[in-house]
Amino acid sequence: MALLEIKDLHASVADKPILKGINLTIKPGEVHALMGPNGSGKSTLSNVLAGNEAYVKTRGQVLFNGVDIDDLAAHERACAGMFLAFQYPVEIAGISNMYFLKAAVNAVRKYQGRDQLDAMDFLDLIEEKKKVVTIRDDLLERAVNSGFSGGEKKRNEIFQMAMLEPKLGILDETDSGLDIDALRVVADGVNALRNEERGFLVITHYQRLLDYIVPDHVHVLVDGQIVKSGGKELALELEDEGYTSWDSE
Amino acid sequence: MLKELRKKAEADFKANGFPSTKEELWRFTDVSRVANAEFSNEWKEASVDFQPLDKIVVVFENGKLSREKSNFGDLPKGVCIGSIMDLVDPRIGSLADAQSAFVSANTAYFTDGAFIEVTDGVEVDTPIHLVYLADADGAAFHMRNFISAGVGSKVTVVEEYIGETEKNYWTNAVTEVFVADRGSVDHYKVQRESAASFHFQTLEAHVGADAVFSNHAVTFGSALGRNDIRGKLTGEGGEAICNGIYLLKDKQHFDTHMFMDHAVPKCNSHEMYKGILDDKARAVFCGRILVQKDAQETDAIQFNGNLLLSRGAKVNTLPQLEIYADDVKCTHGATIGELDDVELYYLQTRGIDPVKGHAMLTFAFANEVLDEVKCKVVKIKIEDLVHAWLEKVSA
Ligand SMILES: Nc1ncnc2c1ncn2[C@@H]1O[C@H](COP(=O)(O)OP(=O)(O)OP(=O)(O)O)[C@@H](O)[C@H]1O
Ligand SMILES: [Mg+2]
Repeated sequence: MALLEIKDLHASVADKPILKGINLTIKPGEVHALMGPNGSGKSTLSNVLAGNEAYVKTRGQVLFNGVDIDDLAAHERACAGMFLAFQYPVEIAGISNMYFLKAAVNAVRKYQGRDQLDAMDFLDLIEEKKKVVTIRDDLLERAVNSGFSGGEKKRNEIFQMAMLEPKLGILDETDSGLDIDALRVVADGVNALRNEERGFLVITHYQRLLDYIVPDHVHVLVDGQIVKSGGKELALELEDEGYTSWDSE
Repeated sequence: MLKELRKKAEADFKANGFPSTKEELWRFTDVSRVANAEFSNEWKEASVDFQPLDKIVVVFENGKLSREKSNFGDLPKGVCIGSIMDLVDPRIGSLADAQSAFVSANTAYFTDGAFIEVTDGVEVDTPIHLVYLADADGAAFHMRNFISAGVGSKVTVVEEYIGETEKNYWTNAVTEVFVADRGSVDHYKVQRESAASFHFQTLEAHVGADAVFSNHAVTFGSALGRNDIRGKLTGEGGEAICNGIYLLKDKQHFDTHMFMDHAVPKCNSHEMYKGILDDKARAVFCGRILVQKDAQETDAIQFNGNLLLSRGAKVNTLPQLEIYADDVKCTHGATIGELDDVELYYLQTRGIDPVKGHAMLTFAFANEVLDEVKCKVVKIKIEDLVHAWLEKVSA
């Protein structure tokens, strides 16, 4: 069974149609890269998948693990194994990153019928995941993303992903804003999480990330539609030629 | 002399009565319900539960000190705690002299209150817990507290007002605080009076050179109430922190009036107030920072944030700066808003359901203020009370 199956997906934001018939299937273990010009609808797609209510699906169907996502609220999708690393991670004052992570991990575990982690087990899990994605202790103590630099926020997203161990990771431009070293940490983290069951949808503008996280498939999104799909070499072509051949204006 | 002061206060109160909403300082708070009520002064025992914070607890029962319920612990040498009716200090009444009808009434009619004196260089490790229990319908409690911390001394004082649900009474408290040079007073007020009561308090603190006065006022109770918090920085290098949270629901009306007076150079003060309002509750926040001509190198910050959980709730907030010195760093601000949908969505994408997410974000809003609570037992107590309040509101 496919991990994610998107069939003829149409979606609008503020009554404006953005996605205009997307078809995409991600099988367990696959990494798909999604590229495309600014405003083409990449973040819209990730928000529709994650369950942001501001984004309205108007046609088509999305199956996650065989379940229609229309039947799942955003938190249920997360608990069922979907993870979105935000293009612009949200700052939350007054909640420490540790407290937030613990609430998230235990919410997911509860949904999955697993027992709750106590403070000790939770700290052990943190230590284990720090080996996958290194993160400074002070970032874990501070309020969620509050005053984090752009790169620190992105690293925090991937750390959260490592903690939650999702089935599908959607990475919306996680590479933008990262310096070379941080890019490597993030890519190594993603690669460490790759296995036969887990799938990834990696949204990026740059070939550079795909040198580290080598995709099985590359798709080009233009004006709400996938106009071309191919292997990893497609990203290299785009780097040379840009999106001009699909320019509608 | 105190006797004359009290006579004069009574005359003032009788002549002027209660303020009206035509007066600038009382524009948003109509006290006619207090003015028109009749209060008796018949004493009765109180059957209200309380939890002592630590070893030292001084209990006032419907306005009178209860020696049975109190525990003075093993006081270190140089610390005096007792009833204000038994102890004498010429400074009693020197700060809060007739600034308002409520202070006049208190000065004229106070029947009891705490007297705390810590002599020079003495540090008291245990917080001194003052508990005011109230369950006498129709009573007025004029409580007068006096706190004096000597040079280089240190003390933590927690005033907690607890009332039996639905009892009608009026608490009218005044607390005067003197912090001598290099002294430190960490003061807290937890107000959880009856939902039908009136609660008014004026707190006035004078802060000496290199001294610290910290105050946290947390309000849950009373139908109609107000805190007047007045700080004066009288010695160079002094610091005043006045933070607070008010959590209001139903038709509660609560007013906070803050006045911070920078009289000398090189002092800093900061105030952070957060309010969470549900139903048709109404809050007033008026904060005034005065930087006098000589108070160069003043550093003052004031912020008031409000979170509205219902469309019927309302806030009037007026932070004000009045600056007569030129070399100062002062900022102020206020916000009134609702929970942020984007933050809620972010929590949801991490598996946290919207009900839990709401509770987390609401608590987080208040939590910023609690960050500065230094006394651990007090912090835990306030956190528990805030959680309990939030649970009731979301139920
Ligand atoms: N909340 C919103 N309200 C109005 N318009 C929106 C909203 N969110 C997205 N849009 C619009 O939808 C279109 C697609 O935006 P989207 O963020 O999906 O693009 P993107 O492909 O992720 O672009 P980028 O590469 O710049 O991140 C844009 O024209 C954008 O302005
Ligand atoms: Mg985008």
